[in-house]
Order: sequence, then C-alpha cells, then structure tokens
Amino acid sequence: MSAGATCIRCRGALEEGDLRCAVCALPVPAPPASAERHTRAQVLRCTDCNAAIAFSPAHQAPRCAFCGATMAIEQLVDPLEVATERLPFGVDRDAAVASLRGWLRRRGWFAPKALHDEAVLESFTPISWAAWVVNAQATVAWTADSDEGAKRSAWAPHAGQLPMRFDSLIIPASRGLSLEECRLLVPYYDLRRKEPVPADGDEVVESFDAQRSAARQHVQRAIEASARNRVEPHVPGRRRRNVHVACLLQGQTTSRIALPAWVLAYRYRGAPYRAIVHGQRPEVVFGRSPLDWTKVALVALAVVAVVTAIVIAFLAA
Amino acid sequence: MRFECGQCGAALSFDGVRSTLCPYCASPSIVERPASSEKPDPVFACAFAGDAAWARVRLDRWIGRRMIVADPALRRARVEDLKGIYLPAFLYSAVARTDYSASIAEHYTETETYTKTDEDGTKRTETRQVTRTEYRPLSGEHLGYVTDVIVSASAGLDHDTFARLEPYDLRQLRRYAPALVSGFIQEEFSRGADECLRVSRTSAADAVGDELRRFLPGDGYADLDWRMEVQWESLDPVLVPVWVLALRYRPDRPPVRVVINGQTGAVVGTVPLSWWKLLLLGLGAAAVIAAIVLLVLYLREPPPV
Repeated sequence: MSAGATCIRCRGALEEGDLRCAVCALPVPAPPASAERHTRAQVLRCTDCNAAIAFSPAHQAPRCAFCGATMAIEQLVDPLEVATERLPFGVDRDAAVASLRGWLRRRGWFAPKALHDEAVLESFTPISWAAWVVNAQATVAWTADSDEGAKRSAWAPHAGQLPMRFDSLIIPASRGLSLEECRLLVPYYDLRRKEPVPADGDEVVESFDAQRSAARQHVQRAIEASARNRVEPHVPGRRRRNVHVACLLQGQTTSRIALPAWVLAYRYRGAPYRAIVHGQRPEVVFGRSPLDWTKVALVALAVVAVVTAIVIAFLAA
Repeated sequence: MRFECGQCGAALSFDGVRSTLCPYCASPSIVERPASSEKPDPVFACAFAGDAAWARVRLDRWIGRRMIVADPALRRARVEDLKGIYLPAFLYSAVARTDYSASIAEHYTETETYTKTDEDGTKRTETRQVTRTEYRPLSGEHLGYVTDVIVSASAGLDHDTFARLEPYDLRQLRRYAPALVSGFIQEEFSRGADECLRVSRTSAADAVGDELRRFLPGDGYADLDWRMEVQWESLDPVLVPVWVLALRYRPDRPPVRVVINGQTGAVVGTVPLSWWKLLLLGLGAAAVIAAIVLLVLYLREPPPV
C-alpha cells in the first residue's frame, strides 16, 4: 500500500500493514495477481528442500515438516503502538520543582502548616506519555431526554443530527498516568509545537496501552464521549439526561504522539505522595497531598455543635 | 474434478473442495484455478489455532460438561472423520442509515388517594406514591458502519449452526494464500453471493436493531418501527477454520455431528440425552423444593405451648 492511501468508503487514512480500514472495515484491495492462472492441482513445496509444506497451527505459518522452514503470509501488522511525534518539554527540572513547591504552599487551610517546609522531594521523572491525536469529520445522530416540551413527566424525548469536526482530539493511551490525570493535562498542550521523535534520542517515550488492532475501540469510544459532550448544548431545554450518540466518521486520521509531563514523588512525615507538573505549562500542577486531621476534626466538631445548637433552639421554640 | 497427486501420482477427487490430502502419501494438494463468480478466490482467511489434538481437548471438555444429562455411552464415543476444514464464508460491511419512530416511555410519579379498611372494619383514607408512564412520539435517523458480519457460504453448514460457532476474532485475519490452507481441506463456495448478501443484510439489520434499542432515550419504548437503508456495501469471500467430526456413541444410533470453531474452540453439537438421568435430576430438584417448603412451613408454625 502506498503512503497516504485512503479508504474509498470513509476516506480514513490507511496505514502500512492494514488489511481492512480501521474505521469502516472495508478491505484494502489486494495487490494484482502476477500471472494468468490455469486450472491444475499443485503441491506447495518448500523452497529450501522441495518437500511438501502444510500450514502448522503451532507455528501459525506454513511449515516444511522435513526441514522446518516456515513461509510468511501477509497479515495485519499489529505492533504495540509507538509514538512517531512528540511535544518537547517546555518546563525544565528546576521549574517543575519550583512549581511543586508553590503548589504545596497553596494547599489550603486543611493542609499541614509544615507541608511546604517538611515535604521531601524524592524523585523527579520526566515522562513522555502516549496519546493518539485524531482528526475526523462526523455526522452525529443523537437522542436525549430534556425538560423542553415536558408534560406530566419531567422529561420529554428529543432527537437530532449534527455535523461535527474533531480537530486534534487527544485520546490518552498512557500506561503510567491514570485517565483522570491525562484528562487534567490535555487541555494545556500546544500541538503546534509537535516534532518527530528523533531516532537516536535518549528521551524515554512511553509505549502505548494498546496494540493497533485494539486502538480502534479506544478511539471510537473517545470520539463518542467527545461527541456526547458537544451534543449536550444542542439538546433543547435546561436539564437533560440519557444523551446517546451515533457517529458516522469520515476522513479520520490518527497520529501517535508523546506528551511531556513531570511526575514528582515526595514524602511527608514518612508517607509517599505523587504530583504531576505539566511539561509545557508549569502553572498546571495537581496531585495528592496530606490533610491535617486535627483541623478536619475541629471543623467537623464545630459543624456538629452548630447543627446541635440549631436543633435545640428549634425544639425549644 | 480429478487430478493426479503431484507427489505420488495417485488419483485425487476434488468434489466440493479445493484442497485435500493424498490418502496414499499424505501430500497436501491445492487446486489452482481462475476465480469465477460461483467460485470466488477468498480475500482473507483466519488460521487454525491448533491441531487435531487441540480440537480433541476442546471436544473432551465439552462432553465432560454435558455428562450430567448426556447418554452415558457418549463418554466412550468413537471420534470418526475428524477433519480440519476451511469453511467458505462472506464478510459483510456497509454504511447503515436507519429511519426510526417509536413511542418513548417517560415515567413520572403521582400521589394517589385510596381507602384502607382496618381489621376492626374502620375505613381510612391514605395516600401513596405511584409510578405512571407517559408515552411520547419520537422519530429520527440513526447512522453508523455495520462491520464484521460473517455468514456461511457452505451448503453443508446452515446459518444457525454457523451463528452458534461465532464469533471469530477478525483482528487475526490474514490475506489468503494457498500456503495458509495447505494440509487442511478448503471447501469450495457452495452458496451464492446473492443468497449470502440477503442473509448478511438480515444479520446487519439485527445488529442495527440492537444498537437502535440502546440508542433510544426515555425509561422504555413501545411501537418501535424502523427502516434500514444500506449504502457502500462490501461482501468479501473469506475462509474460517472449523473442525468437523462425527461421534459414534452407539452402534444402533446415528452419530452425533459436532463442529468446533478452529480459532476459539467453541463447540456446537446436539448431545443425546439420557432420559433416566433427566428423570433423576427432576426428582432430585422436586425433593429439594419439597424439603425447602416443608422447612419453611415448620419454621412458621407456632411452637407448642
């Protein structure tokens, strides 16, 4: 298959090794047969020793039982996905540590007072986490319940259809970061700065969480989740529920990218905690931090005391 | 069709198959011929995941799980004609646009007033919350790709049996090459593309119907009516692996035909039942139920004073 080939049904980009389109499953045409064929019976022979060969389920390849040679058959190339592009780090180690220190200082009243001074930084790991970047057009059919037009029930059904474009939709495929952590990082990446992953670079680029054959379901689910969010404002009414979408994707292209982030591990009074600093925007920091349970208990007691006082006053009245 | 074995020269019959093993020298032979509309060249094939021993393990496991109700003679059944066959099938995909209309059920609660009579005959008026349903009309269009629909193109294996053998993991598809089927029997296409297209559309409509039911809003629905229109259909000849065998369990009874999915090991067949085992099971179940009922009655009975 030539580079830049597209599926004739959905205009999605085809990749080297695809036997069928990853979006609409239309088979990729086979290369033309080399010569005219005549009807005859033949015994397939080993190119090494000329003995008859048969398919061996144990080797998953045609194999000569005499000399053990195997033949290759064209099949879906299903490697573990690997990023071909990356966003460079815009935050160095010192800036990441400074961001973390600032974040520890702003942890609020419930955090221990000594958190900023006593937190011990243990590791600073730059990670380039894996994600798919999808561009596609879609016709999105939707249904939902909303309060618009409701009669006796609080809900009335609605349906509609919308054209949608998905530009540079980032779909996390990270093994090291949780989906929630990825979701918090994604809005702050500037994809205009992406560059090819250098072949001889020493930077550790995370491998994807899925093989290519499983990527289709990941991407499809993420597109539907995104479509569902974008459909909601188009559902008439103020309240809505049961929003369902069906997407007909066209012209989908998928690239694999590594996105920068700092994973910082720190210890406070013996307990380990983890925080993430965005690799391009140092002000984006989130993670887990300890609570001062004495303050939490005092506030809880104060709330209980106030509620008790109100109840007593109410009963007395 | 008859050809000579390319190894030993013995006469080989290729009736209904495209590849076979020579009964004399065990050489695998494959018929090479131009593709035609009745006998198309397969585009893809799923490979066998294991050999005959692999199939026997699945078969023994399947028999073992059914022995509680099966004829005891099945345990000692003789396996006859265990063959690995590449079964012809068609792989269908399309764009489906479906117009639908339905009455959507939306629940709501109402406070209902009712009269209750006490044990002493006094009548009291009380209220309770009841859930009622309002039906609202909804119509629209559902759209999407229908993919991975496979139907049997073998006259020897009906569509229902094939459906019970599914699914096949189509991520493991390979481009068809004669070397892939060498050593196994490749059955020729014996059902036409037109018939398979009709069956595929029915399967596609079932899949779209299931999706449509999940797509509807509300708390339920009634009077769902829908019309699917397919575009950009593709129907491609493929081969899928099956193990076929006959289980001869009694000399005076016909053998049981068993088909095994050559990729997943799913087994399809009709087990000969043992009526006395079924009777004993029924009696056992009745005894358990009777014991539970008696126990409940005993516990509810007030203790003697």
